[in-house]
Amino acid sequence: MYMKSLWLLCGLMATMLTTASAQDNGDQLIGLWEPSNGKARVKVEKIGSKYYGKIVWLREPIDPQTKQPKVDKNNPDESMRSVPLKGYRMLKDFVFKSGEWTDGSIYDPESGSTYSCVIKVKDENTLDIRGYVGVKALGRTDVWKRVKLK
Amino acid sequence: MKALLLFLFPCALILAACSSSEVLSFTTGEVPLLASGPLMEGSNTAQGEYQPALEQWLRSKGASMADVREAKLVKASFMLPDSMNSSLMSEITLHLAAEKADMQKVGVLNPVPEGQTGLVLQTAQEQKNIADFLRQPSMTFVADINLKKDTLPDLHLKGMFEFQITLNR
Repeated sequence: MYMKSLWLLCGLMATMLTTASAQDNGDQLIGLWEPSNGKARVKVEKIGSKYYGKIVWLREPIDPQTKQPKVDKNNPDESMRSVPLKGYRMLKDFVFKSGEWTDGSIYDPESGSTYSCVIKVKDENTLDIRGYVGVKALGRTDVWKRVKLK
Repeated sequence: MKALLLFLFPCALILAACSSSEVLSFTTGEVPLLASGPLMEGSNTAQGEYQPALEQWLRSKGASMADVREAKLVKASFMLPDSMNSSLMSEITLHLAAEKADMQKVGVLNPVPEGQTGLVLQTAQEQKNIADFLRQPSMTFVADINLKKDTLPDLHLKGMFEFQITLNR
């Protein structure tokens, strides 16, 4: 009886440790990242249990045509074209499972298109971000680097 | 074939005329949103969790979840604390987020008018599956606020939101 309780306790503790560890790994995504083109910096944060990324810095924040801060002028919804690109949520709804962040989407402000997206960590300071339509194999991967604040 | 189409078309029209709908207004009351300081120049996020309890509300109207055809956010406004006015803010974007629904952008205010303590956002024309948020036990209002300069303390906002609920009757 005593032995059985001990095994149950051990099992419970192992489950709790695994869950905590999975959460910790998922939180590796939190921070400031820069896409390979260096045009923007994206801050990833967690809301509820999902991960979201917003643009917090733009290399060229001013639209050369309007001389005003850049807005989401290519949004298919006309009523949302005044949304500023600074603060724009381009990564949405990522869930951490099986070592990657999946079920999310990435928005390309240059085209106004949204793609399905999966994120994998290469090392603690490098991400592979793969955007695709329909099938993962038919996508494009970009490498993002973590921005370290001095 | 032509005769069949001539018969089916009026039938479809009659059916469409018979399926009536009812539009109701569902307001949230005050939802507190918090952006934890220190707040920096640029983008900051204020969040407020809300329990819609839509099922209970529908029951009081003699309806059920199954009757909901669609929902749309039609009004979104924020009250700022007495200690501050809107001059500190440049733009606000509002999203809905929930565990079992994809985040959706539903409102924007750009530019934020100066010297105001009450702000009304423009709501999105295109909104999809908003009822999915209201069906859940909990949802989050997420306001991305661009600030013109650094401010140290937390930012407390009060949000008021109105949804238009279309029911099949």
